[in-house]
Amino acid sequence: MPSLVEELVLLAIEDDGAIAPAAGELGFGMALLGACLVELGNAGRIDVDLSAVLVLDTTPTGHPALDGVLKTIATGDAAPVAQWILSLSADAATVVRQTLDGLISRRVLRFEEARYLWVLKERRYPLRDGREQQDAKLRIMETLLGEQLPTPHDSVLLGLARAAGLLEGFLSTAEIARLEDRMAKVAGLDLIVRGVEAAILEDQAERARAMMMPL
Amino acid sequence: MSDTPETLHITLEMVGQTTFVCPRGRLDFGTTPGFQHALDQAVNGGGTAPTAVIVDCRELTYLSSAGLRGFLVGARAAQDSDVHFGVCALQTAPAEVFKAGGFDKIVAVYPDREAALA
Repeated sequence: MPSLVEELVLLAIEDDGAIAPAAGELGFGMALLGACLVELGNAGRIDVDLSAVLVLDTTPTGHPALDGVLKTIATGDAAPVAQWILSLSADAATVVRQTLDGLISRRVLRFEEARYLWVLKERRYPLRDGREQQDAKLRIMETLLGEQLPTPHDSVLLGLARAAGLLEGFLSTAEIARLEDRMAKVAGLDLIVRGVEAAILEDQAERARAMMMPL
Repeated sequence: MSDTPETLHITLEMVGQTTFVCPRGRLDFGTTPGFQHALDQAVNGGGTAPTAVIVDCRELTYLSSAGLRGFLVGARAAQDSDVHFGVCALQTAPAEVFKAGGFDKIVAVYPDREAALA
């Protein structure tokens, strides 16, 4: 089964192997970093409360993306989740690349580079059979359409996919609006997801303030 | 009474058809497995299933993200078994974590045992 980080990257792959536009937004990178923190928490390397990400064990997990984040947090000053997400955001591209490399090496997807207009390169990552991506979408839909409480994993997957703007890739605007009450109840029942949401809002507020500064 | 590693002690008490799960101490990554086991015992542990399982948080001093996962797993198991699940007597700091994680939307929160039993 793919990891949470891999599931988010897979959700950003379109049918033709192109990367979804949402993956170019800062929210996607922040959601991926949040997924790294969730997986580090599940692996007993960190725990999280309202004031800080607490490092429990610096033993590497063997996953390059997670271990890079763990090393940075372990050597930094204590800070809450949102602050770590903001300060790690420059590393998001590295996390994406490492995750794609892992998925390619496990033959979940392949890499294609095409040229068009003889000059411009376009990278695509077609899925081998799409099973893992379909499973992730199915679990998100079951969480949204069911009445049962979600598992911790599915709640986090839904919350981070929403924060990353990935739901719009397979749900219409009307469906998302219709499911908003259920989503508010079951998405992201986790301090890390709430920290990612806070980091995204803070980043948006900072950009808005920057735009309003007098020249 | 069950002891879990580090700093969480858990007792189970039956009041009528309600089982109170009473954690005392810190609920974090290290102590959550024991907490989850206690919730599972309360919901499913032999004999007649209770109509309600309430976590009495009067002596819960600390709650982390890992602890919240334990609550979610317990609440889901209770739902699967058609057992009402709630918490009571949350102290200030754990209550902030509970609310920040969105758990006040999915779990009944009572001020005290009397309200939970009403």
